Amino acid sequence: MNRTQTHRQHPSNAESAHETMVDGHVTITELEKVYESGDERTTAIEDFSVTVPSGEFLGVVGPSGCGKSTLLYLVAGFLEQTTGTIAVDSDPIDGPGTDRGVVFQDYALFPWRTVMGNVTYGLEEKGVGKEKRQATAQRFIDMMDLDGFEDKYPKELSGGMKQRVALARTLAYDPKILLMDEPFGALDQPLRESLQDHLIDIWRELEKTVIFITHDVEEAVYLSERVLIMTRHPGTKKTTVNIELDRTQPREELVLSDEYTTTKNDVWQSLREETTPGGEH
Amino acid sequence: MDVTRTVGLDRNDVIAAAKSIYSLVLLLLLWEFVAQYDMVHSYFLPPLSDVLATFYELTADGTMLEHAYLTFRRAMAGLLLACLLGIVVGVLAARNRIMGWFWDPIIEVGYPVPVIALVPVFMFWFGTGDLSKIMLVAVGCFWPVAINARNATREVDENLVWSARMMGTSDRRLLRRVVVPAAAPGIISGVQIALPIALIVTFVFEMVAGGGGLGHLEIQGVRSFESAQVYASLIAIMIVGFTLDRGLRYLRGRLLVWT
Ligand SMILES: Nc1ncnc2c1ncn2[C@@H]1O[C@H](COP(=O)(O)OP(=O)(O)OP(=O)(O)O)[C@@H](O)[C@H]1O
Ligand SMILES: [Mg+2]
Repeated sequence: MNRTQTHRQHPSNAESAHETMVDGHVTITELEKVYESGDERTTAIEDFSVTVPSGEFLGVVGPSGCGKSTLLYLVAGFLEQTTGTIAVDSDPIDGPGTDRGVVFQDYALFPWRTVMGNVTYGLEEKGVGKEKRQATAQRFIDMMDLDGFEDKYPKELSGGMKQRVALARTLAYDPKILLMDEPFGALDQPLRESLQDHLIDIWRELEKTVIFITHDVEEAVYLSERVLIMTRHPGTKKTTVNIELDRTQPREELVLSDEYTTTKNDVWQSLREETTPGGEH
Repeated sequence: MDVTRTVGLDRNDVIAAAKSIYSLVLLLLLWEFVAQYDMVHSYFLPPLSDVLATFYELTADGTMLEHAYLTFRRAMAGLLLACLLGIVVGVLAARNRIMGWFWDPIIEVGYPVPVIALVPVFMFWFGTGDLSKIMLVAVGCFWPVAINARNATREVDENLVWSARMMGTSDRRLLRRVVVPAAAPGIISGVQIALPIALIVTFVFEMVAGGGGLGHLEIQGVRSFESAQVYASLIAIMIVGFTLDRGLRYLRGRLLVWT
């Protein structure tokens, strides 16, 4: 593992290093989050810096309770950091914004709205007219193979369908950055794999920046261009690993390739050091 | 709630309904029998047939409808007022710190107060007219509506609120767009709990203070030794209560098809 990568990246350096960072890059600098409830103080994130260039698919793995969700919700603007800055396109964020879209692990669909109503919500809030709204929503509903279910309520859908609605809902209002917190964690293997492939297609087509949290090393390596490994609690960036795979081959071949196996093992070993008691750090 | 359970009837529902009516019919027959054979003095318990005859007479000459309408109007006006205030207070108490600080203790103390005890007080302050009755109904119904609205609002999934905010919903629109719809099942439960309270308060106030209404009609029956009228009024209030309860359930089903 290249330990030098764990050093803080200053935004100015990082920016000059990536010429393609036009729209939708995220810069996190010396982030710290301390939860305070009563007298108790829990440091969830400390000394965390990373730059996610625009259009990157960044996977984040880390031991349970290391602060992955906290990190994501900080970037989403749902939580407020204790110190440090989070900037989108060099502007520090101030609360949630439509430039970032979260896909929650438990879907968080509006149960009183139909599939169509959920997917059009963000467009309604943007003031998009009814016809345009429906047309855009329909595009994403079709993209997610949900056509025919437009008038169903969330309670009438399976878990996998709900997650696809959640994805369609977030994509429909066109945020530059997708923040995903173990979105496929609750789904069975075949469904998870099909949604993973779906997500890769979408990411390519729509050119989003994606921060994808998972505890599944295979998922992270399969999806990401770069995987960030977090240390155990309190969470900080341990290292990042670039994933270089030949994506032109089908999944069956890719998962058997040497690059895939080697990278997966690298990430897995690094993560294992954090989960075994007495490990490094 | 499963819609088919409230709208359609399956075999089990029909059997269950038949059984419940069966026992009811048995009781009514027992009533008729006991009264016909003078096992209880007819002043206390007139035969069912007499009661039904009186009920019919009072309905035919319009008296019953007139009184039922008065009771209905008072109960509904008070309940509506309580809903407006209670939902606003309950939702805000859960979402706004200052409102919570102010209302939480008041709600906790107010909820268990037996509102009937306030009938004489309201007669002192506001007299015996419609306004006084409607206000007391509103006071009695306010607590269950407010407390249920508050609790339901507190339990709204934070992720839903966050979802809306990330999609551009401003803090001001958040209540209307997300919080209230998400809390609607709990809010409507509060209204359903308040409905019988509205009827009880109206009925008792009418008994004590007069001014027409089914409560007044019933107590009039007692005072003029017309016991059939007493029971006829009772049947009327039962019908009113039953109808309103069913109406509210129907409304709930329509409003909350998504649950
Ligand atoms: N609201 C909170 N108040 C206090 N402490 C919290 C709160 N939320 C999280 N924590 C603590 O912060 C740490 C990080 O939590 P977080 O949920 O971000 O971890 P995670 O990496 O997402 O875990 P998992 O993989 O299990 O989802 C944990 O130690 C947790 O106990
Ligand atoms: Mg988590």
